[in-house]
Amino acid sequence: MTQAEVLTRLQGVFDNLFLESPKVTPQLTAKDVAEWDSLMHISLLVAVEKEFNVRFRVGEVEAAKNVGEFADLIVRRMTEK
Amino acid sequence: MDLNDVKALLLRNDPSFWPALDSLTRQATEFSDLVFLSSLRKKALARGLKQTAEVPAPLRLAIIGGYSLYPLHELLTHLLESAGTPVELFLGDYDNHVAEIMDPESRLYRFKPQVVILLPGVQRCKYSGTLTDERQAAQACATSTATQLLDLCKTLNERSGAEVLLCNFALPARRDLGEYRARTLASDYTFRKWVNLELSLNAPPYVRICDVEFLANRRGALASEDPRGWFESKQPGSPALLVDLAREAAHLIRAIRNPPKKVLALDLDNTLWGGVVGDDGLEGIEIGDTSPRGEAFKAFQKYIATLKQRGVLLAVCSKNDHARAFEALEKHPEVVLRPNDFVSLKINWDPKSDNLIRMAEELNLGLDSFVFVDDNPAEIEIVRQFAPQVSTILLGSDPAEYVGQLQDCGLFEPRSITKEDADRTAQYRAESERQTMLSSATDMDAYLASLEMVALVRDFAPVDVPRLSQLINKSNQFNLTTRRRTEAEVQALIGRPDHTCFSVRLSDKFGDHGLISIVIGRVSGETMEIDTWLMSCRVLKRQVEETVLNELARRAQAKGCSRLEGLYLPTKKNGMVRDFYPRMGFQTRSATPERGEYTLGLDTYEPRPTKITVKENP
Repeated sequence: MTQAEVLTRLQGVFDNLFLESPKVTPQLTAKDVAEWDSLMHISLLVAVEKEFNVRFRVGEVEAAKNVGEFADLIVRRMTEK
Repeated sequence: MDLNDVKALLLRNDPSFWPALDSLTRQATEFSDLVFLSSLRKKALARGLKQTAEVPAPLRLAIIGGYSLYPLHELLTHLLESAGTPVELFLGDYDNHVAEIMDPESRLYRFKPQVVILLPGVQRCKYSGTLTDERQAAQACATSTATQLLDLCKTLNERSGAEVLLCNFALPARRDLGEYRARTLASDYTFRKWVNLELSLNAPPYVRICDVEFLANRRGALASEDPRGWFESKQPGSPALLVDLAREAAHLIRAIRNPPKKVLALDLDNTLWGGVVGDDGLEGIEIGDTSPRGEAFKAFQKYIATLKQRGVLLAVCSKNDHARAFEALEKHPEVVLRPNDFVSLKINWDPKSDNLIRMAEELNLGLDSFVFVDDNPAEIEIVRQFAPQVSTILLGSDPAEYVGQLQDCGLFEPRSITKEDADRTAQYRAESERQTMLSSATDMDAYLASLEMVALVRDFAPVDVPRLSQLINKSNQFNLTTRRRTEAEVQALIGRPDHTCFSVRLSDKFGDHGLISIVIGRVSGETMEIDTWLMSCRVLKRQVEETVLNELARRAQAKGCSRLEGLYLPTKKNGMVRDFYPRMGFQTRSATPERGEYTLGLDTYEPRPTKITVKENP
C-alpha cells in the first residue's frame, strides 16, 4: 500500500470521528484542527490500529511530525508485520 | 440508530439527541465509540443544545491515584452525564494521591468531593523481600500494604465525608515463574491476590471496592494490560479495560444513590419453563432434567431461588389461564419455585403494566423497586410505556443464557446480606394479603395504537390448508367449539357458497404473529351459524376478537343473513371463552353446563372500533 492509498483510507477514519472532518493531506497536523485534542488523538490511534490491523511500537507515533509521516509509519507497520 | 445518526441529530440541533446519546452510550462496548460519543456530548453542551430532562445538581467527583487518569475520567464523566448525572471533576496529579490525602489543606479537600475514586498504582503493590523468604514475612507485607490503603481511605473519609471507591489490583497476565508463582506469597501474582483479599474483607462501609482484578479477569488478563500505554502515558490498562473500569465505577456511584431493586416479577411461559402451559398442558411444558432445554429452565429457577435467599421478593406476572398456570407451579414435579415462594401472583389477561402497578400498591412498594422479566418484546414494551419506573429485562432467545443475563443485570447487588433477608418473603406476603385488589386504568387504546397492528383477512386457500388444519387441531384455550378437522375436511370447505371460512394473520411493529385466528360460518336461511371460532392466546386483548366479529358480520350480511348464532361447547381447557359471546354483545338463548347458545341480530349492527388496520385477501 502506498502513502496515497493510506491517506485515502485515513480520510474515512477521520470522517467517522470528527464532527467537521478536515481534508487529510500529508502536511496536516493536530494543531491545524480545532477538534483534534489529546482525547481525539487517542481515539484516532485506536481507530487507525483497528482499520489497518497494525500495532505501533512504543513511542513511534509521537515521533511522526504530520499526517504524511504518520501514513508512512502505517505503511511500514503493514509491511513489516 | 448508530453513531452517524446521533451525530446527524446534533448537527440538526435536534433535542432527541440526548436520549439517543444515552441509549447508544449504554450499548457501546468499544473505547473509540465511547470517546466519540463523549466528544459529541461536549460539543452539544458547547452549542447549548437544549436538554429534555431536568438536570440535577452536579456530583462532586475526585479521581486520584498512581496513574494518568486521562482519558479514564473522560469515559467516566461521559457515562455519568449521558445518564443524567452531571459531574464536577477533580483530577489528581499523577501518583500524588498520598500527599493529596495526607495534607489537610490540599486542593482535594478544598474541592469538597462527595465521591473519591482511588486508583493506586500496581508498582507499589509488590513484596519487597526475596522469593525465598518465610511465608509470614510476605504475608505481613501484604497485610500492611492493604492496611495502608484502607488507612488512606479512612483519613479521606474522616476529612471530607466522601464515599471512597477503592480500586484493587489486576493480576499479572504473564507466565513469569511458571508453576512456582502460586507456591509463594512473594510472587507478584499471589501477593496481589492476597492484598486484594485483605482489602475487600476488611473494607469499612464507606469504602466500595472497584474490583479491577475481577474486571481484568472477565475481560482477559492479556487483553487488559497495555505496557505501551504505561510507558507512553502511564495508563492503568488497555483501552478496553478503561471502558470496563469506567463502567464499573459509574455503576458503583449510581448504586450509592440508588438502593438495589426489591422485587423480581417474572413471566411464566418460556421464562420459567419452556412452552405454553395453557396449550401444552402440565405434561407438555419443558422443565427439569429430562431434556437440555428443560435443564436450562430448571437452572434458571434455581438461580432465582438463590436471589430469594438473598432477600429479593419474587412475583409472577403472566398472561395465562390462572388455574392451569397455578397447577403447574403447585404440582409439576420439576418446578423449583412454588406458589409460596412468591409474594404476589398475577396470572390473568390484563395488561402486565396494570398488574405491576397493582402489585406495587398491594406490597406498598414503589414501582421503581421492581424488575420485570419476560421473553416477549411486546410485553416488555407495554411495561416500558405504562410503568416506566419498572426496570425491564428482555430475555434472549436461548434459555441457557437466562441465568447469565440475570447475573449480569446489576440490579440486585446487596451492600450486605442479613439473616432477615431470607425471611422477607413471608413478611411481604402478609402485607399483600391485607391490601385489597385495586384496578387501574391504563390507556389501552394508546398502547394498541402504538403497536401499529395490521390484520390480513383471507378466505381459506389451498396453500394455507396445512397451517389451518394444524391450528384447528392444536388450539385449546380460545376455541369456542373445539371442532377438529383433517386437512381433507378443511380443503373441502374451500369455495362453498353456503359457508364463509376465513383466517386472520396479525403483524405489529415488533413482527409477524403468523396465522392467529380461524372462523368457519355456515349459512342456514337467514342465519349464519358460527361453527368454529378460535384464536391464539398470544394476541388476546389486542382487539382481534372485535376485528373478527366485524368481518363475520359483514360477510354474513353479504350472504343475506340477518343474525349470527354462536355456540359454546365447554372443554377442560376453554374456560376462558365461557362468557365470550355475551361479552361480545350476543343475547343468550340457552346456557347449560354442556352448551351455550347465543344470537346477535345484524340489522342494527355497528362495526366495533379497533386499532387494527384490516386488509382483505391481499
